Amino acid sequence: MKTLYHVTVSDFRESVRAKWFLIYSLVFGGAIVLLFVLGITESKVMGFTGLTRLLITYIQLCVAILPILVLISTVRSVVGDREANILEYFLSMPVSLGAYFWGKIISRFLLVFIPIVVALLGAVLWGLVKGLTIPWHAAGYYAILLGTLSWCFLGLGMFISTMVKKQEWGLGLSVLIWLVLLLFIDVILIGLMLQHKIIESVIVAIAMFNPIMVFRTAAVLLFDPELTAIGPASYVILDNMGYAGFLSFSIFYPLVLGWVFSLLGFFRFRSGDLL
Amino acid sequence: MIDIQNLTKQFGKYTVLDGISVKINKGDRIALIGQNGAGKTTLIRIILGQYLSEGSLTVFGKNPRHHRVEVLDRIGFVPQLPPPIQMSVGELVNFSASISQKSSLDGIYAKASDLGLDIEHHVKKPFQKLSGGMKQKLLIALALARQPDILIMDEPAANLDPSGRQAFFLQLIRSMEDTTMLLSSHRVDEVINLINRIIEIDYGKITQDELIDQAELADKVLACQITFTAPNDAATRMLKDWNFTAVNGDLEYQGNFIGAERLRFLTTISHFANHIQKLSIN
Repeated sequence: MKTLYHVTVSDFRESVRAKWFLIYSLVFGGAIVLLFVLGITESKVMGFTGLTRLLITYIQLCVAILPILVLISTVRSVVGDREANILEYFLSMPVSLGAYFWGKIISRFLLVFIPIVVALLGAVLWGLVKGLTIPWHAAGYYAILLGTLSWCFLGLGMFISTMVKKQEWGLGLSVLIWLVLLLFIDVILIGLMLQHKIIESVIVAIAMFNPIMVFRTAAVLLFDPELTAIGPASYVILDNMGYAGFLSFSIFYPLVLGWVFSLLGFFRFRSGDLL
Repeated sequence: MIDIQNLTKQFGKYTVLDGISVKINKGDRIALIGQNGAGKTTLIRIILGQYLSEGSLTVFGKNPRHHRVEVLDRIGFVPQLPPPIQMSVGELVNFSASISQKSSLDGIYAKASDLGLDIEHHVKKPFQKLSGGMKQKLLIALALARQPDILIMDEPAANLDPSGRQAFFLQLIRSMEDTTMLLSSHRVDEVINLINRIIEIDYGKITQDELIDQAELADKVLACQITFTAPNDAATRMLKDWNFTAVNGDLEYQGNFIGAERLRFLTTISHFANHIQKLSIN
């Protein structure tokens, strides 16, 4: 545990200085600032206004960019250290493979989670200063959702990082996975739905394997308990799982997925040549 | 300390180490030599538990992959090139001291000072911003401060200028009297005074494994005469460094050196082997 702590702290300190972290923090912090500056809290869409409106926009932004940013920053961790000969040096020290791998994951989780939560917290504080109504329940739930989504893609990123031999392959694979999850499944499933070739519940079930879709749907559910915004799929989801059931699913599913990928990555990492 | 039996390592279809067997004992100071791609670094990485392999390899009687922490806590390693670590010098020193049972901040500062590096002066500087020589000295200090039973260095002086190399090797001799050493190097002449055994690897096999007993002739003065086939400026400069004098024009030279230096002399003069007509040492 002592070594795990030291690896986590040293990796955290090392990564805080990296350019990707600066860009990552600026993207999420800047997004919140930009949304306030653009007066998004004053606008009204589908009945949502104030801080709720801002949070919805922020979450939509997170759906699109959080997975790819987490993947890009994480996928380079093991393979990047390997290419730069950092791994050779650190693994010549008396550090267990578990301490190295999990220390890196914990550190990366803190690195990706802290900026988005700080940005969210900043929005809430600014809302308080401006005298806006704070949707505490939604803000808290969003923070948890962002945490589980980050964990899910962090695990996937670490898994890819242990699988590939070069950073370029890892980055390419990450972008491909992100595009598939973000765009193609949505587009393909809508196409299938329109063709009426497969029953709706199967299509919705396939969609619910996609952690981005789960996150997106849960984010909508919080402000739109009937899921009217997503059309007929809402019946399948709410009839099968119910409101509370789906909210629980949207937290635990990405969490489990993150753990599965992390463990697969760890077993892959320790089972072969380390360099 | 290190027992290697029939060790084979393949990357795909390419065999890098081909059934090598060797024992490294306490007090051995080994130059691991061989051409690029001969398998030196691969062997070092297997000893450090970083590569899997076929055959048997134990360090202190244990498998370095399965008993990583115990084994590596007794091994100091200095890589060929300093890794691009983003941490500050202070953070790296703290990290190294905290993960090892035998290392300490005071120990690292003292070893670095022995090598001519004042850590205090650079403690807040990023490791990356240090010069190549300073980085290497710091990595050596971190390795030595763990009081390793085995010190493994992969081309440790590659990043140092000639005067830096000389100082580094002198400091190294003083720093590691009781340590078993495995030194991978292209230039045997640089390390010849440090070592007592040479292992040469070629195409994945051990082609030479010899003990170097320098004790018998160590303090005897040896007379040497060399005749070249044609004048050679580089050879002349080298021989002048050894205080040799020209005899009968610029083709024949004579001079003296002590027995302890004979291997270093021979490896240095071997660079001009094509131009040597006659060489005698008495």
